Amino acid sequence: MTTTPAAAANTVVPANTVMIEAQGVQKWYPNGFHALRGCDLRVNRGEVVVIMGPSGSGKSTFIRTFNALEDFQKGRIVVDGIALSNDLRNIDAIRREVGMVFQQFNLFPHLTVLDNLTLAPVLVRKRAKAEVERQAMALLQRVGIAEQASKFPGQLSGGQQQRVAIARALCMEPRILLFDEPTSALDPEMVREVLDVMRNLAEDDITMVVVTHEVKFAEQVAHRVVLMAEGEVVEEAPPQVFFNTPSHERTRRFLDQIL
Amino acid sequence: MNSLLRRLRHELFATPGDAVLSVALLALLTLAMGGLLRWALVQANWAVIQANSTLFAVGRYPAEQQWRLWLLTSLLVGAAGLSWGLLRAHPRADRQGLLWPRNDRVAVGLLAGLAVWLPWALGLTGGIQARWWGLAALLIGLRWLAGRQGASWPPRLLKLVPLVWPLLYLTGMVLIGGGMGVAKVSPSEWGGLLLTLLSASFAILLCFPLGVLLALGRRSELPLLRWASVIYIEFIRGAPLITLLFLGQNIFGFLLPNGLAPERVWRAAWVLTFFAAAYLAEAVRSGLAAVPTGQVEAARSLGLSQARALQHVVLPQALRVALPAMVGQFISLLQDTTLLSLIGLLELLGVARTVMANPEFLGKNAEVYLTLAVLFWCCCAALGLGSRALERRLDPRTVPSR
Repeated sequence: MTTTPAAAANTVVPANTVMIEAQGVQKWYPNGFHALRGCDLRVNRGEVVVIMGPSGSGKSTFIRTFNALEDFQKGRIVVDGIALSNDLRNIDAIRREVGMVFQQFNLFPHLTVLDNLTLAPVLVRKRAKAEVERQAMALLQRVGIAEQASKFPGQLSGGQQQRVAIARALCMEPRILLFDEPTSALDPEMVREVLDVMRNLAEDDITMVVVTHEVKFAEQVAHRVVLMAEGEVVEEAPPQVFFNTPSHERTRRFLDQIL
Repeated sequence: MNSLLRRLRHELFATPGDAVLSVALLALLTLAMGGLLRWALVQANWAVIQANSTLFAVGRYPAEQQWRLWLLTSLLVGAAGLSWGLLRAHPRADRQGLLWPRNDRVAVGLLAGLAVWLPWALGLTGGIQARWWGLAALLIGLRWLAGRQGASWPPRLLKLVPLVWPLLYLTGMVLIGGGMGVAKVSPSEWGGLLLTLLSASFAILLCFPLGVLLALGRRSELPLLRWASVIYIEFIRGAPLITLLFLGQNIFGFLLPNGLAPERVWRAAWVLTFFAAAYLAEAVRSGLAAVPTGQVEAARSLGLSQARALQHVVLPQALRVALPAMVGQFISLLQDTTLLSLIGLLELLGVARTVMANPEFLGKNAEVYLTLAVLFWCCCAALGLGSRALERRLDPRTVPSR
């Protein structure tokens, strides 16, 4: 796959509908640690936002509040027009629309690849199994592992597992996809196959929020890059600006360390 | 032949030290086996087993009602053959299972041999010997038929097959105890292997859901539920089973109004159930702890509710991890049924004690105890083999056999 069309993707200005709106989000862990200290973020439909930052800066915690895997104590988050609250129906409604890809893949090891994909659409969306299976096979085709459909996750390589995980999230037809360091647990030679799939997705109109350390991916695919440090959003800028002329000292220090 | 010799040399006589050890162990084994065989074949008097085989099998179950047990056995054997064949006809999605793997050929040979030899050795009448042959033929025949035809059965029919077992269990209860138009046989007349298997299977079947609930309760976020589970589990695990059995014989009488308290056999079976559930809960809890939190997060992020995530993602994995520990629990539960003899019930050990007390068979303890040991060993080995087969079938990590 060439990277040219993907690189062109971040010049397209997405339609201006807000998909995720986070305002002044604060979170304390039960042990008193102040993980998020008032984070703001707005993600528009079809936008690809990459969140970078040193480890422990709250990046993962922040995106995990978007589908209520983490709770928060102060602030406001609206996802696809639904305000996150303690109302369980709201949470379930949001989770149906927000897919998530984890660092450790978290595939269900007791189910075949195909069953991993079809489980949620059949149970949650109440769709017919045969129809979901057709869609799942098409998705597996798209991420390039259709021939592994009847294998179990443990029989696949890390890169293949992560591609299955992406296909599994897509099978629910989410409007938003969250990626929590999707390539950090992969052997170096498998990073590319996963990033290629993500590039390919970015060309669609799906909204993506990606926590990653992959600078090249951020440069080529992101519409905006966000730097988080010590639980705060420090800088938010288009990639060309972020990597070449950042406005904050903290961003410059971070870039010095990773580049 | 040459390679066999080389292997023996390599494995047993690799160094002088190994050789000495091998020879010593072989001599010891030969002596022990020789002594046992000489005793079993020459000195032992197996008449005590032959004369009491019915008593060992079913206790004092009335002879004119024993056709019900034969019917139940045939049904069980039929269901076993059917399920066995269907399992082989439908190997796992990622495997190419053989229709007749080596284990199955060995098992069939062994079962056929037993069905011919055992009734003959027990000196059963010709008619009853023929019944055992028929049962073996039914098992192997259905195994063969289901294995051959099962692959082409419609999926809807296949889904019904697992339902045969619970249905058969309930049917079995009616057949054994009576009711619904069948003459009643009081539980006090059940005995021997029948009572052992009945109380063990009852306890195993009921302690399983109870144990899972207790394990979930112990990990619950609701403090009341959690504490109740902890107290129950720790109380039961802190008391010896025999005290609980004696307590159970009395306590049901206090707790429930007269007439509602179950028969003594059922009281004991319930105590066994409650006892095993506490231990099983701990086995299941270890399985639950082995499921990474990421699994729940993945399930929840796909929109599955808490209950659905538990049912489809957490429990299947937890139970697979806990399977060996659970089966170990079931095996010790089966052996714990011998304690029922101490509260006066005539399960296998109880029957054995009455037989040995019979002046006619005085001093034949060794024969009786050995028979008992072999019977229990067979049941436990079957449980163990079944569990290992299940583990292999459920193990997602095994490389597909091609």
